[in-house]
Amino acid sequence: MSVVILFVMIIGLLIFGVPIAVSLGFSSIIFLLVLSDASLASIAQSLYQAMAGHYTLLAIPFFILASSFMSTGGVARRIIRFSIAVVGHFPGGLAIAGVFACMMFAALSGSSPATVIAIGPIVIGGMIQVGYSKDFAAGVICNAGTLGILIPPSIVMVVYASATDVSIGRMFLAGIIPGLLAGLMLMVTIFVIAVIRKMPKEQWKGWYEIFASGWDASWGLLLIIIILGGIYEGLFTPTEAAAVAAVYSFLIATFVYRDMGPLAETNGGIKSTIFSKPSSLITVFFHQDTINTLYQAGKLTITLMFIIANALILKHVLTDQQVPQHVAAYMLQAGLGPIMFLIIVNVILLIGGQFMEPSGLLIIVAPLVFPIAIELGIDPIHLGIIMVVNMEIGMVTPPVGLNLFVTSGVAGMSVMRVVRAAFPFLGILMIFLILVTYVPSISTYLPTLFMGPEVIQQ
Amino acid sequence: MITKVGGFFHFAGLLVDKVERVSIALILALMTVVTFVNVVLRYVFNDSLIWGLEVTLVLFAWLVLLGISHCIKLFAHIGVDFVLNMINPRWCKVFGVITSIICIAYAFLLLKGSWDYWAPFAGLYETTGHWFPTGLDTNTRDRAWYETDQIPMLDFLRFFEPLLNAGEEYEKLPRFIPYIILPLASLLILIRFIQGGLMVLNGKVKTLIVSHEGEDSKTVSSPIKGD
Repeated sequence: MSVVILFVMIIGLLIFGVPIAVSLGFSSIIFLLVLSDASLASIAQSLYQAMAGHYTLLAIPFFILASSFMSTGGVARRIIRFSIAVVGHFPGGLAIAGVFACMMFAALSGSSPATVIAIGPIVIGGMIQVGYSKDFAAGVICNAGTLGILIPPSIVMVVYASATDVSIGRMFLAGIIPGLLAGLMLMVTIFVIAVIRKMPKEQWKGWYEIFASGWDASWGLLLIIIILGGIYEGLFTPTEAAAVAAVYSFLIATFVYRDMGPLAETNGGIKSTIFSKPSSLITVFFHQDTINTLYQAGKLTITLMFIIANALILKHVLTDQQVPQHVAAYMLQAGLGPIMFLIIVNVILLIGGQFMEPSGLLIIVAPLVFPIAIELGIDPIHLGIIMVVNMEIGMVTPPVGLNLFVTSGVAGMSVMRVVRAAFPFLGILMIFLILVTYVPSISTYLPTLFMGPEVIQQ
Repeated sequence: MITKVGGFFHFAGLLVDKVERVSIALILALMTVVTFVNVVLRYVFNDSLIWGLEVTLVLFAWLVLLGISHCIKLFAHIGVDFVLNMINPRWCKVFGVITSIICIAYAFLLLKGSWDYWAPFAGLYETTGHWFPTGLDTNTRDRAWYETDQIPMLDFLRFFEPLLNAGEEYEKLPRFIPYIILPLASLLILIRFIQGGLMVLNGKVKTLIVSHEGEDSKTVSSPIKGD
């Protein structure tokens, strides 16, 4: 009962406009102080340990940094050129290319808003220029951007793995097929709409352009192989892979593409190279672009981790009160089968996803439903993918839809207009959610193939 | 005279802002470099910095905890603003004030907790009281001899030894050093929330979270005014 009051309090605070992190933290602190003899010192300790005690969460700042270097460093631009060369000549070509570009960027970055920020400004602008409506363009990118957390690497998967102790490597592998499938579903939908509405297509630029643009983008795309290959070959842990990715994308952005940093300053239209300007090896570390990218990535990390740290305090309260056990006992007593259970999980997450930031929500909900899922024989990896897809939907539904906010900024539209624009494609994501929920092999096929069947520890 | 004072505060505000930004960038850079170097050392030299992981995790905590107050100042923390956008301005201000009070209360509780957690490690006294500091607990168990697991002791910090550790040498960095970020960050958080609350009260801003009402939410890093 008291737990109900706790949740009502959190939602009440959220509605008043209290920052999400403070809503979670403040409610949990009050709850702990009233109902137990826990000290404030122990709360401060868990806040500190949220960072210092979670090695897996350490991957988050590094993935954010990698994706910041890639979007400011011109990787996004080259990926888009490659996508247009490959799929631009279909009806609705630019829109399909936008989805394709989002999929590729998703494979480099672990965040959905980051994907929208990287791909959105270029593609939405380009689509409007050749005659698409602004709403259609924004709707496509807003939804395609959600693939950022489904296609590995993914920050949300890192959080899920950290909350439930499943392997990050498995989760990443599990996201590949669903990610490709969701992207394909979006592309096919656009294609059908485009044929009916006679939308513009680009000119076929020939195989040479595909090859040339593919070569140009390959420096960036190589990162996918470094991350996934490195993790599966056991060369490094996911956290180290993220750090390697950050350093790699820094080097690519400043020394190979030279879209930022000391070599970006053009001298009569020609960028200098590391050989013509060897001083750049030193100056790059003090260059405004480098510092700015680090700062922006740091700021994103801070706001995200502030929420996660407070969600961890709430999780501490819930486990302290044995809420997961009570919920599990209650649900199992009610004679829930796996199918009903998954429907309930979906409903909880869809509603929760409206109000919460995905990572914070996962920290809270995962421990609640995980034990029941194991009891009912649901694969933890499968459950994880279902949760991630729910979070994707949460990101494009108001009031707290991160993708809606960034798309509104990128496209220069009001949030409400983006909500309406994104709505039709939301239907596709819903169908996709049902598919993923009831066909477990979509998620579990690859991890089982590469890493053997999951050993479930109770 | 007044303008001169105003000018000084403006300058100080800009300086503090610059320091915060550079610290955030620097800490993140250090974390990345240490982790990366450890990977390289492992494969190329078959060696590793044994303190690498622990230092990175401490830096991670420092980055986030220090950065929270900076992001409060920038109104960069996310929340639900759709209700605020629907109600009339007078209620909006009421909501804003309540929000600020809650945030300040949160920061205050956090500050007490942080002090109580850190103080024993620094050989200082905890405060008494469950909610509100009512005094100093002179029976606090001294934990100043607690050391980190792997981080080496830095020589220039040895002057702490006679003060805290009865003159005995620290073999590793004592824990009160990484943990000092807790009271420091909590204090900064409290200050920034009070400043934010005053701005809400004066009607300069609507509330303490990112607002998505306008057309240009992309410009997250709005120019900073002196504070």
